Amino acid sequence: MNETELIKKIESEFGIKAEKQRDRRIWVTVKRKRLMKLCRFLYARNFEHLSAISVTDFPDKKVYELTYHLWSYRDKILITVKTKIPRNKPELESVTPIWGESAQIHERELHELFGVKFNGNPDLSPLFLEDWNKEPPFRKDFNWREYVREEYYDEKNEREKPYFV
Amino acid sequence: MRKMREKNPTSYELLFGPAHPGSGNFSVRLRIEGERVVSARADPGYLHRGFEKLMEYRNAMQNSVLSDRLCILEPLNWNLIHAEAVDELTQEEIPEKAKYIRVLMVELSRIQSHLIWYGAMSMGLGFDTGFKLAFGYRDYILDLFELITGGRVYPAGYICPGGVRRDLPDSAEGRIRKVMIKMEEMLQRCENFETTTILPRTRGVGTLSLKDAIRLGATGPIIRASGLKTDVRRDDPYEIYPELDFEIPVRREGDAYARCMIRRQELRESINIVKQVLDRMPKEKLKPVKPKLNQKIPEGEVYVRNEIARGEAGIYMKSTGEDKPYRCKIRGPSLLHMIPVLEHLLKGCQIADVPAIYWSLNICPADMDR
Repeated sequence: MNETELIKKIESEFGIKAEKQRDRRIWVTVKRKRLMKLCRFLYARNFEHLSAISVTDFPDKKVYELTYHLWSYRDKILITVKTKIPRNKPELESVTPIWGESAQIHERELHELFGVKFNGNPDLSPLFLEDWNKEPPFRKDFNWREYVREEYYDEKNEREKPYFV
Repeated sequence: MRKMREKNPTSYELLFGPAHPGSGNFSVRLRIEGERVVSARADPGYLHRGFEKLMEYRNAMQNSVLSDRLCILEPLNWNLIHAEAVDELTQEEIPEKAKYIRVLMVELSRIQSHLIWYGAMSMGLGFDTGFKLAFGYRDYILDLFELITGGRVYPAGYICPGGVRRDLPDSAEGRIRKVMIKMEEMLQRCENFETTTILPRTRGVGTLSLKDAIRLGATGPIIRASGLKTDVRRDDPYEIYPELDFEIPVRREGDAYARCMIRRQELRESINIVKQVLDRMPKEKLKPVKPKLNQKIPEGEVYVRNEIARGEAGIYMKSTGEDKPYRCKIRGPSLLHMIPVLEHLLKGCQIADVPAIYWSLNICPADMDR
């Protein structure tokens, strides 16, 4: 199956537009409700490798955009599935039942860094951060410069003074 | 070491790392009954520096320097991925010779990364000669890096958006060829004693089936050791890899020994690629790339994948037309290898096999925590 055939299949099955960016790269945007159906559809068509999941924060539009990067070992195509979820209630169904542990660990990371809750993921415990009780640190409105200054720098220290100007 | 149950003195919890010699800044909590590991829980985060967030505050040239630090053991490979992501967004034409230099540097970096692995693996197995050999020979490559990029370990953004910072010095080709002879000599020396050292400690240890490997998200040498012939350089080619002639070593066993042998063969293939690149390298001089300050990156988003020594690495970059990326997601191979794959392989193994399994995965805490 090449890119054009796959695009045609997705368009006829789901009625959404898929775009070929270049060779081996397809981008498709889907409504959140139909995300699981599209993921199952793609997994059944040999997209067995979940390369990465990512979240992009848009505070102005009040949405999180999720991107799922899927690779097919057989057809050698990378398809990126994008979906949007509201920022004030960041909840989504987990893709762990489809891709297993590899999806689980990506979701666990995003839960910690962006606060997205993946329903159905068995383990969303903190991964990198220790004793973190503030807002998720990778959100656009988290000011890490201010946080570092308050938490770790001393205004009286000669070397750290410039950070307080 | 902590006793789990008072009544059963053979059941306890053991921390492998972060103070274990050579475990890196990473630890695994092992639950042990007698000699057997009942369960393992990875405990990452010692090296979390928040690169994805840092990159949102810096322009492309600054990020290029920053991308070195993603993985201490192979900074040039991460340089290349970042540069490719920016190049794809700006649609800039890369000079032919810069492409050759990029591949040359990346393959040299792969060799030195595999040598670190060889040293660490030998040390994990208590085979100190291998450790000293590998680190000694790695220094020859670091000398090359110093000659070409100016830095022994960190190239400070040598592979940058738009090509490479400067051309190879005139003496580089001869020296690289000499170092490649040294590398072959080292492989020859290692092969002589591997059957008595590495083989008995790794054969049949930590077997990963292909089905599990795909489910757990293994990539690179680990999935190739389990029997899937896949390599980003071949399947999703970038730079000048389609023109080069190289083999992709595959094995079916999926145990620690297979993973070791795959890397050993990859060393040979990388030496081969370096020689081919030197033979085909265009002769004309390359103009140095000056850092472009305040360069606006056109709006768009890309996902770039590369094959680095540990497996598949990727960057998802979104730009909104500013000079800084709006979002830069970094996908390192070690996140999958260190948590799901390691936890899966350690479950049920003997306590003495833990270092063999741990090092056969060739994992790097830096690109996991990011």
